[in-house]
Amino acid sequence: MSAPLLSVRDLHTYFYTEAGVAKAVDGVSFDVGAGETVGIVGESGCGKSVTALSILRLIQPPGRIESGSRIEFEGKDLVTLPDDEMRRIRGNRISMIFQEPMSALNPVFTVGDQVAEVARIHSGLGRRKAWDLAVETLALTGIPIPEERAKQYPHQLSGGMRQRVLIAMALIMKPALVIADEPTTALDVTIQAQILDLLMHLQKEFGTSILMITHDLGVIAETTSRVIVMYAGEIVEQASVTELFARPHHPYTEGLMHSMPHIGHDQERLNVIPGTVPSPTSWPHGCRFRERCPYSWDLPEREHPPLYDVGAGHVSRCHLALEPERRNHPHPPLVVVEGVGAA
Amino acid sequence: MPGPTPVSAATKPAQPRESPLGLTVRSILRKRSSRVALVVLGVIVLVGILAPFIAPYDPAAQPDIVALKNLPPSLAHPFGTDPYSRDVLSRVLYGARLSLTIGILATIVSLTVGVAYGAISGYMGGWLDAVMMRVLDAFLSIPRLLLLLGVLVAWPHLSVWALILFLGLSGWFGLSRIVRGQVLALKHAEFVTAAQALGASRRRILVKHMLPNLVSPIVVAATLGIAHVIVLEAGLSFLGIGVPQPLASWGNIIQDGADQVATLWWMSLFPGLFMVLTVMTLNILGEALRDSYERRS
Repeated sequence: MSAPLLSVRDLHTYFYTEAGVAKAVDGVSFDVGAGETVGIVGESGCGKSVTALSILRLIQPPGRIESGSRIEFEGKDLVTLPDDEMRRIRGNRISMIFQEPMSALNPVFTVGDQVAEVARIHSGLGRRKAWDLAVETLALTGIPIPEERAKQYPHQLSGGMRQRVLIAMALIMKPALVIADEPTTALDVTIQAQILDLLMHLQKEFGTSILMITHDLGVIAETTSRVIVMYAGEIVEQASVTELFARPHHPYTEGLMHSMPHIGHDQERLNVIPGTVPSPTSWPHGCRFRERCPYSWDLPEREHPPLYDVGAGHVSRCHLALEPERRNHPHPPLVVVEGVGAA
Repeated sequence: MPGPTPVSAATKPAQPRESPLGLTVRSILRKRSSRVALVVLGVIVLVGILAPFIAPYDPAAQPDIVALKNLPPSLAHPFGTDPYSRDVLSRVLYGARLSLTIGILATIVSLTVGVAYGAISGYMGGWLDAVMMRVLDAFLSIPRLLLLLGVLVAWPHLSVWALILFLGLSGWFGLSRIVRGQVLALKHAEFVTAAQALGASRRRILVKHMLPNLVSPIVVAATLGIAHVIVLEAGLSFLGIGVPQPLASWGNIIQDGADQVATLWWMSLFPGLFMVLTVMTLNILGEALRDSYERRS
């Protein structure tokens, strides 16, 4: 593979709160190639959204990207780029699709104005031309009679329509990379499928790379080619989609897969991973998943696991790579035994 | 026959455009009290605008200071005359013009300063916000009337323009607080992050994305603010340190008849009535506007 489009190296994003330093993203490295779709999956609070916002440098104080972190994109280091240059990248070369289509649109402007604004900021188009381009882009996202819809306010559109508007805003400048932060979470299931199809279709048309951030493995399976699993501010596993679903290595990934509902399986209740993500102000020493893990032993308690290569471009942050036979002897995780954090 | 329309939405015509402003106006007009208020206020404003054309006399003319002074209401002088033989009706009409103008202009001054101060304080945050808010606390701790009295006693015989300026500059503290609070809340609105993510500059976000969302609270503050300024101006004029003679303002006219209020009742009744109606209708409309936007937010 040639040089990747986006290359994140050793990203640390910390929040300096009164409760202590929250290490929301704690040493994350990954690449996104041109035209590739990469998924980041994990529970709430695992650091996936902060990773996304860090790439666009939208971390607000008290949050900060620590020095030593590097985010290389089209030959520039986004971490040290001057503010005005960074602004020229946002919405133009890298754009973002947000989770809540209602709150991500300004309620007092027509949707056409909001799509056109992006073009006006970045291409200096006149009002008329920007509007025409906005209508054209809205049409691409499958909005019927876009010239009429463009004149409406966000509250007059359905959730699915609003999400199409956000996609139009993200794509109007034909960016090289689109970060989609839970783009379908707020939508009905049927609309979800439509929006994902649309994204995939537009990606092929524009050759855009997509960084898909979600907690939904179904979305990952449907749209991405490579998956990054995040837990407690770190990458815990990375592999191609087929490899990951065929041979999940990290117990956390395994847990996520077990907790997916399956059609046809008669189950009284869903499997859940016991316990919750620990607090980012005090990640446990050793393995951060240890207390919720059914295989943990003394090694994970002593040593923070590195990313082990487990074959076929597949890496996993789990000591089971050293002692695979332990997988045959699961035990109740510590949170269950000690009754801490269990729901 | 053409084939079936592919998308259901295409078959029904798009809904009419409805801007937030249009929604506000409609919701206000739905209430009878605010419709009445709007009509009454409209008449007073119109009377003020048309004063030069409908006033029967020159408001400053003193035709016969002996024979025509202190006349009770009659057909020739429907609101009577004052101790200088001036026609009170003409003075009340011109008073409407002046009092409303002062109210509106002073409020524009307050809005400009208050919105800018509050928006910058809230948007910049950090130590600047802390300093600006402490300064504001200091201003807020001085009663507005006392502040104005101090200034006007120190500089007597100020022009109307200076009066407007001081009325405006003493009235933005509360609004500034409101604007700051709203900007603080909007800073974390997702559409602001979205605008940032799409490359909007800080100034663009503040001016284009935040301020339009503050129109409702600002309009409410402005409506109530005009009423407040009118009352203040009348009070200062009544004390003889507001609008300079021979200009007519409602407070001025009442002052002219103040020492004989028992006999010259028309001198306080008519300007007082106009003032009460103006202030009341402004307050009713202000409340209606507040209701309408609080219901939506």
